Parts: sequence; C-alpha cells; structure tokens
Amino acid sequence: MKKSNNAAKRKLPKKVVSQPAKVTIRKLPTGVRGLDDIMGGGIPEFSFNIIAGSPGCGKTTLSHQIVFANATVKKPALYFTVLGEPAMKMLRYQQQFSFFDESKLGKAIRFINLSDVAMQQDLNAVIDEIIKQVTTISPGIVVVDSFRTVVRTKIGGASELEMQSFIQRLAQFLTSWEATTFLVGEYVQEEIRDNPLFTIADGLIWLSQLAERNSVVRKLQIMKQRGQNSVPGLHTIRISDGGLQAFSRTLGLVGKKMKPARNRRLSIGISELDKMMGGGIFEGDSLLVAGPSGTGKSALATQFIAEGLRHGEPGVMAIFEERQKGYTSRADSFGLNLKTPQKKGKLEILYLRPLDLSVDETMQELLDAVERIGAKRLVIDSLVGFEMALAPGFRTDFRESLYRMIGGLTGAGVTVLSTVEVEDTFTALPFSQYTISFLTDDIIRMRYVEIDGQLRKVMVVIKMRGGNHSKDIREYVITDKGVVVIHPRSTDYNGLTTGIPTRTGPRQAQEEERAPEPKAKK
Amino acid sequence: MRDFAERLIVYETRENKSSETKTQAAFLVGEKLRPQLAALMGNVGFRALISRALALSNAEIPWLRAVHVNTDGSFQGLDELGAQVGPDEIFEGRVVLLAQLLGLLVTFIGELLTLRLVRDVWPKLSLNEVDLGTRDKK
Repeated sequence: MKKSNNAAKRKLPKKVVSQPAKVTIRKLPTGVRGLDDIMGGGIPEFSFNIIAGSPGCGKTTLSHQIVFANATVKKPALYFTVLGEPAMKMLRYQQQFSFFDESKLGKAIRFINLSDVAMQQDLNAVIDEIIKQVTTISPGIVVVDSFRTVVRTKIGGASELEMQSFIQRLAQFLTSWEATTFLVGEYVQEEIRDNPLFTIADGLIWLSQLAERNSVVRKLQIMKQRGQNSVPGLHTIRISDGGLQAFSRTLGLVGKKMKPARNRRLSIGISELDKMMGGGIFEGDSLLVAGPSGTGKSALATQFIAEGLRHGEPGVMAIFEERQKGYTSRADSFGLNLKTPQKKGKLEILYLRPLDLSVDETMQELLDAVERIGAKRLVIDSLVGFEMALAPGFRTDFRESLYRMIGGLTGAGVTVLSTVEVEDTFTALPFSQYTISFLTDDIIRMRYVEIDGQLRKVMVVIKMRGGNHSKDIREYVITDKGVVVIHPRSTDYNGLTTGIPTRTGPRQAQEEERAPEPKAKK
Repeated sequence: MRDFAERLIVYETRENKSSETKTQAAFLVGEKLRPQLAALMGNVGFRALISRALALSNAEIPWLRAVHVNTDGSFQGLDELGAQVGPDEIFEGRVVLLAQLLGLLVTFIGELLTLRLVRDVWPKLSLNEVDLGTRDKK
C-alpha cells in the first residue's frame, strides 16, 4: 500500500507538449514618419492593401514612399501605372521629394505601364500581364496605380461576378508570390459597403482632404487592417519636401517611458515663490501660470527655464506671441543669458506662428525639440497664442490634443510651465477661460490690485497637486532681476482677490515711490 | 544633346557588328530605346513623345515632314525616303530626332533619370562626362 502510495506520489515526467509557433507577421516600414506608429508597427508583409481617397490627397506620394522605403535589387518593387497619372509626370513630380532615390530606378523599382492592355483588352489580359511581370521579377512590393481606372475601364464589359473573380485572382496570386500589394484608387466612402474590393482587402488606408474656412487639412485613417492593431481615428498628414508625414492622434507617446518617482522639487528661479509652493515645483508636474497682460507671466517662465539651465537641465520654450529676439532681450535685462545655452544646444526657443498648422503637427514640433535636446523643462507661452496660431478647424481639438501632449510629456518626466492670459474682472478670480485646469497639477494666479492709489501686482498659489503650499497672497514686482516677491502677506486688506480690496488695518505712512518700475527692454 | 545622340550612335556602331553603317546604328539606337520607354509610359505615351520630337525636328530637317509615327511608336516613311534623300542626310535626320527625344526626356524627368534610362539600355556605356542639362536641346 505504502509502496503504491509512493508510486502515486512519484512525479511522472512532464510530457513536454510543444505548442506550434504562431506565424510571425513581419512589418514593413512605410517610409512615412509617424505612419508606422499609427499602423501598429508598419505594413503587414504579404498583405493586400488599398490606398484610397479623393484626388490630391497624396495617394501616389504615399505609395511611392512605401516603394522607396522597401524596394531592393533582391526584392524589387513593381509599379504598374494604368490610366491615372502618366509615368513621365509621376517621375517628374515625385523626384522633387527627398525620399526619391533615383539609383533605385530600373533595378530595385520598375515602372510598367498597363494602359494599352487596360484600354484595348479585357480584365484577363490585365491580370495575365501582371502575372507575367510578377513571375519574371518576383517583387516584394506591387503597386497598381490607379486600380480604379482598371476597374472603371472594364466594368462596363464585365459582370460583377467577373469583377469579383478578377480581384480574387489578383489577391491570391500576389499573396502567393509573397508580394505586399497596394491598389491605389479614387474611391468615395459610400463604395465601401458594396465594392467587393474592400471585402477582399487586408488593409484600407483612407486619405481625405477637409476644408474648414480658409484652411485645408489632409487626414489619414486606417479603416481596416488585418492582423494587427492600428491607432483608430483620423490623423493629420502633411505633404512637404520630404513627402507625407503623419501625425498620430496619440502623438507617438503611447509606450513612452513612464514618470519617474515624483519626489524631487525643482526651483522655479524665484526663491520666495519656491517657498510658497512648498519647496518648488515637483519634477514632471504641469504648472499653469494665469494672469492678465503685463503681470509678468513670460518673465516668470523665462526665470523658470534659466533656473533649469543653471542646474544643467535643457529647456524648450514655445512662444507664440513674441519673437525670439524680444524674449532673449528681456532675459538679458534680467541678467539671464539665454543665447549661450541656445548656441550650446541646451535651449531651443521655438517661435510658432504657422496659422494653418494642425494642433498635432505643432505638438509634434515641440516633442521633436524636447527629444532633440533632452529637455527637462518646457515652457508654452501662451496657450491663448498657441490656439490662435492654429487653423480654425483645429481649435476644437486643441484642448484634447493639449491634454494628450502634456500628459505624455509630464509622464516622461518633463516639467511643463504654461502661461495663459486671463482678464481681471474685479469680481472674480478665474484661472483661465479654458477648462484646462484639469490638465495642470499646479496653478499660480497673478493679478492686479488697487492699493493706496497704485495698481500693484499680487500672486497666489491656487493649487499644488500632491503637496502643501502657502495660502498667502503675496505682492511682487518686476525688477532688473525679473519677478521678485516682496513683503510678507498683508493683513491690512480684505478682498485682495477682487482686485479692489478694502483696508482693515491702519493706514501706513506712504513713501514716495522711485518711479518707474524697471521693465524689460523690448 | 546632339553630341550625346551621336555618342550613342557611335557606341552602338562599335558594339553591334551587324550594323554596318552608322545610319543603321542610328536606327538601332531608336529601336532599343523604344521598348524601354514604352514599358514606362505605354505605347500611347511613347507615341506622343516621339511625335513631339519629330515635330521639333521638322524645323531643322524639312524632309522629315514626310515621316509619320505609327501607333507602336515606330516611323512610317523614313525608309522610303532613302531613295530621295542620301544616307548622310538620313543619318543626320535620325541624329536630330534622337537628340530631340533625349531633350524632351531631360525636360520632363531630368538629366539624372534620362541617363538612368539610357544606362538601362546600354549598361556598359560610360556616362561619366555626360552633361545633358547645360547643352542645347538639339
């Protein structure tokens, strides 16, 4: 019995059951900055894709970028042109883009014109010609541009079944020959439901062009992608000398390094303000400085950046309302040298007044600058100017995109200071006209108050997420050292936050003020 | 451009032993370029381009007005003219036509891509000192 128990206890050697490995789908680069992220890593190899959209959206440019990014002499690309843009014109225009590498033409990239076959013969002749070329060359990438014209030319003579059979044959053949295929065509979204092409395709990249007031913006959407996740929604694209560039709605911030332990406090460059904030701003926080025009928000932002530079922390300043020269001159007048760190690559001042840029593009510029110099501090001066610089159509997306960007940056440990201009109402103390305080960890409010026949300035720390802070309303001045907090809190007044306080204490003897208060040079 | 056209013909004469005369070699140069260009732009596209080259050549070589372009881009009437026009003139006509064709290619797709197309047809031809962009487009 015992023996049998032992036998029962004896462990049987585990039978190693090897699971058959899942197929690994290799991802091909698109050659389009930002698009690989949107597509979840790139284009699935051997997939059968459609690049669709209205004229002028960048379909041909996109397919060229894919071709130039992937074609090699060993695995060439075959680019079939049909009745769309003639190859001569295509080459004439596409060579203007920086991705166009003429050394690839001929061996790695071959253009073959199918116009004659498409016009004079039937669908079978078209597919026979494609099969002949693909069998001979064994390409890695095949593009048919425009596939729509192949179908449109032949649809009159072919039944729907013939058309479906044609597309099916083409898809099966090209996939079997290990080609990643792109059919380029001008389609409208209403066709998606009924056109068999969209059912058969593995991937559908939809390009569009939207006009809003005087600005036009191009958008890209991955409407379908088998085998991997893509970033959903409409993403802005721009066509420039480098070809298409895509701006993911997530700004490529997904999967970035997470926030470091939030325990280090950074000096803001104004010692009394640091004390008011409980020892400075937490690293990786987002601070909003709100106040009316002339209260010293930009001066405070400059001191914040300069203090970082003093401690070896590179910084980026995105300015929208003032030119770079004005900014550096003001810093000079405070004894803060911004020019040297700029030259040394420790500071970038971006003057952004693009007017028709999308919010995602602008934010991408900021992110690029932050990454380029390894910035630890970022200033956005101001959010109002930022919004005004955007094309009207993007202003509705502003807060959502700003939220994503600030969230992404602070998540990566960058400390962000944004300024916002607010009007002094003398009856209330608003932080900003935007509902953006939700995206800030800390808020400092600056405002004018009328005291003893003078318009003075006070500031108060409204909020410090995760830390205690002073509740004092402190008077400050702007001197040749920048923003300087003066005097302890005043107990002689009530209603300072209204801007028109009432005296509760005894009237002090007034000293004649040395006029005027030093200001920054313009 | 004319220098380059002549250079191609000289090269073809040297390379292709069967082309006994330079006129024949000039014909072969055109014939070798035709499928290359037709593959790129289709017969229709090639026909349009060669027709333009012919029209531009007419100003310089008046007897070329009797020549027409077939649907496949080949010439009709050029050989028949051999009886009325001497071989040197035929050769001259072919050189001018080729120069105009190359000139059009340079205009549309640039010097770099034109040379690449030529190199695909004659891979051993040295193109190191060729400068198509700054020369006259004859």
